[in-house]
Amino acid sequence: MISAATPPLDLVFAALADPTRRAILARLAAGEATVNELVAPTDLSQPTVSKHLKVLERAGLVSRGREAQFRPVRLNAAPLAEADRWLGDYRRFFTESLDRLDAYVNELKRKEGRHVSKRK
Amino acid sequence: MSANANRASADRALVITRVYDAPAHLLFQAWSQPEHLMKWFGPVGWPLSLCEVDFRKGGRYRFAMTGSSGQQNTPFGGEYLEIVPDRKIVFDNAFENNPAKKMVMTITFEERDGRTTLTWHTLFLSPAMKDEYVGMGIEAGANSGLDQLGDVVVGLKQAAQ
Repeated sequence: MISAATPPLDLVFAALADPTRRAILARLAAGEATVNELVAPTDLSQPTVSKHLKVLERAGLVSRGREAQFRPVRLNAAPLAEADRWLGDYRRFFTESLDRLDAYVNELKRKEGRHVSKRK
Repeated sequence: MSANANRASADRALVITRVYDAPAHLLFQAWSQPEHLMKWFGPVGWPLSLCEVDFRKGGRYRFAMTGSSGQQNTPFGGEYLEIVPDRKIVFDNAFENNPAKKMVMTITFEERDGRTTLTWHTLFLSPAMKDEYVGMGIEAGANSGLDQLGDVVVGLKQAAQ
C-alpha cells in the first residue's frame, strides 16, 4: 500500500513534474546522449539543460559517464519503477478499498436480513 | 469563507464518492469496528495486519498493512475528531514515521431509498502535499491526474526496457 514518501521519491516526482525534463528522459530512453546532443533539438541553452540534468541526477533518474570529455548521460529506470509502484498503490488504496467495502457491506446486509425482517 | 479560501481548500482536497446498495448504518458499522474494517480496508493483497480502534471522539486508531512479502508497512493512524452515528466520521491520518504530514479525512453517509452515497473527502495540508499523494497537479478529476502521471511513468519505463 501507500508507504510514506521517502525523500528520493519526493525528488523523483518533482523531477517528473517538468515537461522539459520528461522530454529529456524520453530522449534518453532511446539511448545515452551527450549534453550537446540533448541541447541540439531544443531551443534551450546548454546551461539550462545542464540545470535540468542536475535535477534528474539528484533524483537518481540519470547518471553521467566517467569519461571527462563527453560524459554521456544515461537513463536510470529504477526510480521510475518505484514511482510507478507507489502511484499504482495509492490509486488502488482508494478504489480497491471501496470495492471491497461494496462486497463486504452486501455480506453484512445478507447477515442482517437473516436476523431482522427486511426494512422497508 | 472567502472565495479565495474556498479555492485554496479545493486545491488541497480530494473527494471520492461511491453509491452503495446498502443502508447507511451498515456502512457506518463497517467503518467503525476493527472486525469489520479488517475485512475490507486497504487494496487487494494488502490486508490490515494491525487494526486498533478506540471509536469515540478523541479516541485514536492505528492501522498497518502487510503485503505479499510478509513485511508490515509503516503503521499509520490518528484521532477521531467527530463522530455522528450513521452519518459522519472525521479523523486525521498520518504515517508514524512522518507525523507532521497529516491529512484530515471526512467520511459521510447519505442514505436515500435504501441506497447510500459515501463521500470520502481528504484534506491535505497543502496543494503540494496533495500533488505528492494524488498526482502532480495536472488532474481534472479525482483520479485522472494520477492516471496521466502513471501513464508518463509507465511509458518512460517501457521505453527504457
